[in-house]
Amino acid sequence: MPARHLLYFTAEDHYLYTVAHGKLELEARFPGDDLGVGAFREFLRGREGALFALLADLAGEDFHEDQVPRLRGADRQAVIQRRLAQRYRDTRLAAALSLGTVNTGQRRNERLLLTSFTNTQQFAPWLDALEEAGARLAGVYSVPLLAPALAARLGARGARALVVTADRAGLRQCFVENGKLRFARLERTVDMVPQALAAFVRSETLRLVQYLVTLRALPRDGAPLHAVVVTPPGERAQFEQALVSDARVAFHTVDGADALQALRLRAIPEGTGAEALYLQLAARKPPREQFASSADRRSYFVWQLQRGLVAAGVAGFTACALFSGARWVEAMGAAERAEIQTREARIATQQYERITATFPVTQTTTENLRAAVVEFRRIAERSASPEAAFVHAARVLDRFPQMELEAINWTVGRPGEQRGAKPAPAEAKPPAQGEEAIVQFALSGRVNATQRNDYRGITAQVQRFAEALASNGYELQRTQLPFDITSEGTLTGDIGAGESTEAPRFTITLSRRLP
Amino acid sequence: MKFTPEELRKLTLPALIAAVLLAAGAGMIWGADATLRAANEQATAAQAERRQATERLARISEEEREVIEKLGVYKRLRQLNILGDERRLEWADAITRIRTQRELLDLSYRVDRQRLLVSAPGKPANVDFFASTMRVQLALLHEEDLLRFLGDLRDSGNAYYAARRCSLTRIAQPPSGVQISPRLRGECEIDLITIVDRAAKG
Repeated sequence: MPARHLLYFTAEDHYLYTVAHGKLELEARFPGDDLGVGAFREFLRGREGALFALLADLAGEDFHEDQVPRLRGADRQAVIQRRLAQRYRDTRLAAALSLGTVNTGQRRNERLLLTSFTNTQQFAPWLDALEEAGARLAGVYSVPLLAPALAARLGARGARALVVTADRAGLRQCFVENGKLRFARLERTVDMVPQALAAFVRSETLRLVQYLVTLRALPRDGAPLHAVVVTPPGERAQFEQALVSDARVAFHTVDGADALQALRLRAIPEGTGAEALYLQLAARKPPREQFASSADRRSYFVWQLQRGLVAAGVAGFTACALFSGARWVEAMGAAERAEIQTREARIATQQYERITATFPVTQTTTENLRAAVVEFRRIAERSASPEAAFVHAARVLDRFPQMELEAINWTVGRPGEQRGAKPAPAEAKPPAQGEEAIVQFALSGRVNATQRNDYRGITAQVQRFAEALASNGYELQRTQLPFDITSEGTLTGDIGAGESTEAPRFTITLSRRLP
Repeated sequence: MKFTPEELRKLTLPALIAAVLLAAGAGMIWGADATLRAANEQATAAQAERRQATERLARISEEEREVIEKLGVYKRLRQLNILGDERRLEWADAITRIRTQRELLDLSYRVDRQRLLVSAPGKPANVDFFASTMRVQLALLHEEDLLRFLGDLRDSGNAYYAARRCSLTRIAQPPSGVQISPRLRGECEIDLITIVDRAAKG
């Protein structure tokens, strides 16, 4: 990161500081005239890209409170620029500080504190020198702009406070209300003893309070104003003696050394006054509000954008790294779990193999032994032999001597499968697992010893024969009688002609389910 | 806000660095995700394997009982040559022998090409059940000849005989006084089932 240079700008001389690691170092001192500008240009040679900020500590600083309609974005900016242009001739170094909103009854307005320097031309050659050298201007600040931050760091209590410091430029008094700058002034000082300085601080503070009351910035009969006075290091006792609080002002002194510590500033150059506190704030925590225009800060903005892009990349990469790191940790946990499970599985398998080694010799694996026997049993259960059916038919036939069988058909198959005299195709498979298998048994024959024209007798005999067959696990599927007596069939007869000698034929179909 | 070409040139390198860093980050997430996915899959597989192994170990006494019980059947199948390759010559020998022994008048048969009946999943290899369909036609004096033929065939081994179809038909009688003539015609379709266990030793 390039070093940040701070140019402390006073009415006489300008001091160039750097702040790093809690140390304020004086790099150079330039007189406020043309010689100083020339020396500054010489200093900037070879420092292209260096970061600069300017801290002005000048007496001629104007503060004016104004109100504008409450707007946002570009409209607000345009209105503010117009107000600044109305107030100041040169708006190159002018700022508008928001003091919050106010209700006027009809609309909401924004309170603004317009501020600029009475002589902005004194800055121009210095800013031009920075631009010509290719340096980056972070901002132009004034000491009052940093006063609210200092008041907060020094623990100023109450809604209103005065911050009083003895700077190299003089006695600086800043009035802060609700954490926002309202007014400031700089009173030139000469070298004086601590007691005299303390008395001067008291008298100037009381004058300022009186002035603020006149301006109605302070209530006439309000509580005493809290004034935080930063004394030169080691002179706090003398100041406390002189700064006696009264009904208008309650003084609170802070030793310069303690103030430096509060701002984490460990070392400052010899002869530096309380401006060191403001320089540290300008370097470490600069406020958003400052005087330089966006055109003057353009190169700084581009530099910020460059850093922002890289920072966004680094932040994204870090976030991804953290996220993926968490995933890696999770993956490592899963891998560890897998390893434990695999080890346990291996132990269980080894135990299993040790135990199965004592099993009878099977000449095959246990799985294949099981598969072979289970599947064979399934096939065997769905197989049948015709012997049982033939024996069953023979036994029933003994009771019906008038029946003469001509053909018997026995098949094994699935229910509904057509089984005739034709051989089944070779590719036909036996019933698969889960499918029901049945044995179909069809008997065809003739009825003897009964007159051909005794329809009722023949039909009754065939039906009795079929009923007798439908036993011992066999179910009657179909009976084809010699005479079709169903309504769906055709009934034929030849009465009176010569009697046929051929015996009436029938077919009985039975079935039995296999397990 | 518009940037000048010079400003854009200044912003190019940081933008490139940011893009590379973000791409590297995304790559890291992708890699970590892939690793995590693989590790989870591995863990799931290992868990399943462990559960299977543990369950198998827990069932070992039951398995021992099952092995002992099934081993008898398996040995019997091997003994009957149902387990092993087809023995077509033995089948032909058996049919010839039965015909001679039972004095069957006429017998013709045809054994079709072998086909895979079912492949039972085993470990390390499947157990395949094959079937060859035999169609046999017999001229019979009595229906019992068919039943005796089937019984003898079954007893001859070398396959498991699963009858699929059998028919018995009365045939017309020639004039009496001549030589012995068949009275019935039998036709059967029988699956000759053999088992091939590819993990079997010996």
